[in-house]
Amino acid sequence: MLSVKRSLAPRHRLPKPDKHLSLRKYEAKVGLLFLLPWLVGFLLFKAVPILAALGFSFTNFKMIEPEKTRFIGLANYLFFFKDSSAGASLFGSISYFLMSVPLEMVVALFLAAVFTSDRLRGKRLLRTLFFMPSIIPAIAIFIIISGLINPNTGWITRLFHLSQSTPLYTLFPIILSLWTIGPGFLIMLGAMQAVPKELYESARVDGAGPINRFISITIPMCSPAIFFSLVINMISAFGGVALIDRGLSYSQSLSPMESYITYQMFSYMNLGYASALAWVMFIVVMVITVLLFRSARYWVHFPEESSNEEI
Amino acid sequence: MKKSRQSLRRQSSTLTLRAWEFTGTALLTLFIWIFLLIFLSPLSYMVVTSLRSSDEFRDRSAPPFPAERLTYDYEGRTYQLYKVPTEDGVIHEWALVKPSRLSSQFIDPAHPEQGLITWNGSWRSLGGVFRFRIYWENYVSIWNAIDYFRLLKNTMIIVVLSEIGILLSSIAVAYGFSRFRIPGGKFLFFLLIATIVIPDSITLVPSFVIFTRILPWNGTYYPLIVPAFFGSAIYIFLLRQNFRSIPRDLDEAAMLDGAGPLRTLISIIIPQAIPAIVTVALLHFFNTWNELRMSSLYLGIRQDLQTIAFSGQASPTTYGFTPEFLQASAVMLIAIPLLILFLSQRFFMQDMVVTGMEK
Repeated sequence: MLSVKRSLAPRHRLPKPDKHLSLRKYEAKVGLLFLLPWLVGFLLFKAVPILAALGFSFTNFKMIEPEKTRFIGLANYLFFFKDSSAGASLFGSISYFLMSVPLEMVVALFLAAVFTSDRLRGKRLLRTLFFMPSIIPAIAIFIIISGLINPNTGWITRLFHLSQSTPLYTLFPIILSLWTIGPGFLIMLGAMQAVPKELYESARVDGAGPINRFISITIPMCSPAIFFSLVINMISAFGGVALIDRGLSYSQSLSPMESYITYQMFSYMNLGYASALAWVMFIVVMVITVLLFRSARYWVHFPEESSNEEI
Repeated sequence: MKKSRQSLRRQSSTLTLRAWEFTGTALLTLFIWIFLLIFLSPLSYMVVTSLRSSDEFRDRSAPPFPAERLTYDYEGRTYQLYKVPTEDGVIHEWALVKPSRLSSQFIDPAHPEQGLITWNGSWRSLGGVFRFRIYWENYVSIWNAIDYFRLLKNTMIIVVLSEIGILLSSIAVAYGFSRFRIPGGKFLFFLLIATIVIPDSITLVPSFVIFTRILPWNGTYYPLIVPAFFGSAIYIFLLRQNFRSIPRDLDEAAMLDGAGPLRTLISIIIPQAIPAIVTVALLHFFNTWNELRMSSLYLGIRQDLQTIAFSGQASPTTYGFTPEFLQASAVMLIAIPLLILFLSQRFFMQDMVVTGMEK
């Protein structure tokens, strides 16, 4: 490995004729060497499990009696269409995504816009305070909310004289969504602070008001950051971990589909059906992702990728 | 004369402008702080409740802050003080000696020599007298009930080992992605982005089979630590964005001086990317601290290997459902990450901004 590195000459110097490997090949070799940990990890922990799950999904694999495993074709997938609780879980996952992500995006965008104002004082402390709830594990949030809405002693029930029957548990996902804005807020704030001031100045000279300036300068200039936060929020809405882990096990996942998969897996030991469900979930998330990335063409203004040829 | 008047007018107009600016600053800052107070108000419930005793917590006449009930010792026994209104409109703070349904007997602590005072009315309608006092015993009981040091030790083993793995691998891979021309590099980068988006549940079943059936790793830390040594897609992405923003002139100069790629990474790239690396390290720390997916799958059978988050999840069943206990356990669960966030806010915040700019 060391000899390879030593012989890697600077790019613009001509390769020595006695080297049978060209410089580009050296570069590719060394680069691949650096990528190796991720490539191996990708194969071991992503590619192989995903394909294995596809394989499992065509069998009746059960954890307690693996020797009885047989190929059953599409039976698991056909059963999914008859399984009303699976359909309800999938619907629950998608509706949680549709409700929480817009809320997170709007609040984070609004906060980031307020934070770009020069009038605001004490920004660093405020930023940390607004980011702070995003690292609180969901179990602690659940403990707090269940205390707040405790029918006998909770602050909310006491303050508003509510009865137990009020569906206060809807507070949990709302507060959890609001307390997840941290990373998106910081990413968008960073992008907003990087917008050149001259743009706003010239727009003001042209007579654009603050709302006009926000819509026609801030949003297009920050669209890559907005898009990135959207992707991050989408992943966590479907129960995944992006940037910050909310500390939920698979069975308590916010995404009902994920907890249903775990339920099939551990309560019925039905690994084949659980894998089929996971593949359904995978396809749904991938379709939403592809739609998001397709839509990006129309509203995200990616900066010129001038450095493309360098890689 | 005319000139001075003009300058005076200009002065007054700048004054009003300044006044306007001051009002704007004050209003905006006030608005943000009020918004913040509402935003964080559930946390105040957690802190306040964790500092209350259970008697006081259930008392509806108790004030919203942690407080204790005042009592009075009379003839060798302890009686509780109540706020007793009399006909002359004065509210007395009297100790209840003999409670009865229609009329009760009180003693006035200020004038005990007056003897028992009979008051007509239901004593149950009276509110108690409270004084501010912080009650630490919930924390003491939790501290005694759980082995906090062992939980902390277990969590830190996972944090430190996986942190080493994540940083080594993610920095190396990000360097590979940001500085080398690799055939198919674009496709590999696309795969990296795709891994970020792939839902976890798809790998759940096969990984479980691998870690429990093929490898004897059930009930060990290996499933939590080993994958870290293969890098994490989102951290690689963040670091790659940051490395790309570092000018290439420096590493080309280093290469001219004969430094190999590893040398260039260590002496040129890493020193300039410290804020990004600290951000990734902090993110990974918070994530490992909160992590429950792997630990609930693979450490469930070993009580002695539990992490803090895992015991926090189990606390509702361990301690029963008394709210003040639970709130104290929640405080103990989040205290250390919050402390670290505040200590590192300069680094952490600064870099999220930079990485955000990149994408």
